[in-house]
Amino acid sequence: MRPRLAPYAVAIGGVIAITAVIWLISSKTSVPGLSAIYLLLILWLGARWGRGPALVGSVGAFLSYDFFFVPPVNTFTVRDSANVLELIVLLAVALVTSQLAASLRRSRATAEALARESRALYEVATAALRSAEVTAALSMLCRRATELTSVSRFALVAVDSGQPSALAGGDLSPAELKQAAWSHENGRAIGIAVRDGMVSVVRKHPSDSAPAYLPLASGVAVIGIDEDQVTPDELRMLAAVVGLADLLMDRRRAALESERARGLESSDRLKTAILSSLSHELKSPIASLRTGLTALAAPQAGLKDDQRELLVDLDRQASRLDRMVGDLLALSRLEAGLQLDREAHGFSDLVANATRHLRIELASNRLVVELPDDLPPVNVDEVQAGRVVANLLENAHEWAPPGGVIEVGASPRDGMLEAWVENDGPPIATGDLDRIFDTFWTRRVRGSGLGLAICKRVVEAHGGTIRAENRRRGPRFTFTLPLAHVAAPRAQAL
Amino acid sequence: MSGRVLVVDDEVEMQRALRTGLSYHDFEVRAVGSGEEAISEAATWRPDVILLDLGLPGMDGFVTLKKLRPATRAAVIVISVMPDEKDKVRALDAGADDYLVKPFGTEELVARIRAVLRRQADVTAGEPVIRSGDLEIDIGRRTVTVQGKLVRLTPTEYELLRYLALHAGKPVTHTTLLRQVWGDYAIGDKYNTRYVVAQIRKKLGDDPANPRYIINEPGVGYRLEG
Repeated sequence: MRPRLAPYAVAIGGVIAITAVIWLISSKTSVPGLSAIYLLLILWLGARWGRGPALVGSVGAFLSYDFFFVPPVNTFTVRDSANVLELIVLLAVALVTSQLAASLRRSRATAEALARESRALYEVATAALRSAEVTAALSMLCRRATELTSVSRFALVAVDSGQPSALAGGDLSPAELKQAAWSHENGRAIGIAVRDGMVSVVRKHPSDSAPAYLPLASGVAVIGIDEDQVTPDELRMLAAVVGLADLLMDRRRAALESERARGLESSDRLKTAILSSLSHELKSPIASLRTGLTALAAPQAGLKDDQRELLVDLDRQASRLDRMVGDLLALSRLEAGLQLDREAHGFSDLVANATRHLRIELASNRLVVELPDDLPPVNVDEVQAGRVVANLLENAHEWAPPGGVIEVGASPRDGMLEAWVENDGPPIATGDLDRIFDTFWTRRVRGSGLGLAICKRVVEAHGGTIRAENRRRGPRFTFTLPLAHVAAPRAQAL
Repeated sequence: MSGRVLVVDDEVEMQRALRTGLSYHDFEVRAVGSGEEAISEAATWRPDVILLDLGLPGMDGFVTLKKLRPATRAAVIVISVMPDEKDKVRALDAGADDYLVKPFGTEELVARIRAVLRRQADVTAGEPVIRSGDLEIDIGRRTVTVQGKLVRLTPTEYELLRYLALHAGKPVTHTTLLRQVWGDYAIGDKYNTRYVVAQIRKKLGDDPANPRYIINEPGVGYRLEG
């Protein structure tokens, strides 16, 4: 910055003028201590322009007074020791005065700058926080930032799920958006640095006119900044603006997220309603069928044995239809991604529920359940996880020979519970091991191909895995479920 | 005649099937298609058991259930195509005695009806000793025996078992158990009931993977086998 010359000219002119005044006064009367008039000038110079002009004034006053008024007059030499003292005092007082005035000026300037800054920030902050539209507040913030002399451009880029988009402060070129996305993704600033709430410009190649990129909590600030015009005041202001932008961008993201959550919730409700109504429409006719068929199959109905047998067969078909509809609805529920109702459950409870549900089918098998006593509980949706065990048991029952053995076991492993269901039926063809969990794929003539697909969905929805393998005795299905972290049960006081 | 059954279901086919099926088992059956009719029929005809479908047009099943409860002493069995456990819990907490998910066979329904009727008779008789297989709970003397051998339970365990025994055969929700055994402050802490039930089963010598006495009602609660 070139020093301005006007204050120095004023300082020299002032000294000349005061010298003239003192010369006029002392030519008429003899007044002692007239040199103090210079001090007024120096004080004023210091307060107005700071130390430089005041110093020039001080030296000028010292020299003029010595030259024009201290005998021998019109020389710089001093003969009288009293006059030497007077000159020294004049110089010393002038210097101290200029120093004091200058520091006074500096602190006033600082105070004013601070006041300006906080007023500006206050205005921006209140306007931003009051405005219902975060985007409007951000635009205002960008305008405010470009009012700084060194800032030619201030734009904010939102990065929502990896996609950058200009949010406020004008458009950006595709290259700039890409750069902004990179900066956000890596959390790295380009051409600018922020530390302890202070912004500093990182020196660039002089011809480089590219803006600086500053990653925020949920976006990027793109700042065109002129390194040559930067002052500490402006950097402070810029830091404050960036801080506010950070806050507002975060608020915007939070608002977006809660909106998205509301959307998901209402679509969940809609899906539940559709599935409920569908389930009602599909199951009601089957319900009438089964109740009617079983009513007529009772001996009291007085039908002949072969007629009753036919009715029992038909009821079995109706039950099969019911199970298939149930499986389809269960699968749609899982596909719809509805929430699981997870709680801590003993795995033995899940086995108990499943075996009870299948007690008629399993009566023809030998069921061996071996679970350690200290098996930790699992964090699962009781009904859904119970369905996994039931479907695997049903599958084992289908494949085990009459009177065959079905084994159920479990043990904790790598923070999960690993459980398996094994039967002594024929092995699964190697090529089928992978396809066996596919929807509608089945090895059975009358299978729906849904049971194992449901198992896979439920297990995966819980964050577990499921696989099939051929063991020496027969096929084994192994799946994992997350363990529950439960606090010790409440003290059993009554 | 083994009892009066009021069927509340809006599907005419279901009404007819139930009327026919239950009549073969010597029940006297009447059927209505709405909640309003159910309430007036319950007051005038005085059925022993009401089969209530939850998906009624107009006044829905839950509202009907709440209005039925003060008007009748009949046992209410909720029948619904909705297998949602939350609905079961709601129905039981609103005063239903049991629930049965549609579709069901007539045999199963008859078994449930007989069970609630038996329970009603037991309550009326004020039987002090409740039996579930070889398990005996003597309410008067506060003792529990399995095959005649005394089982020592903590007060919490005994309270839970006693409550299930007093409602033997009926599903009791977690919420009800928590309120009855621990008091209102424990509501929601289902792991408490699971833990205590596991302890009781251990002391009764029951296999948790194939229990004989206390049966899980998945997503709902527990039931003592009647």
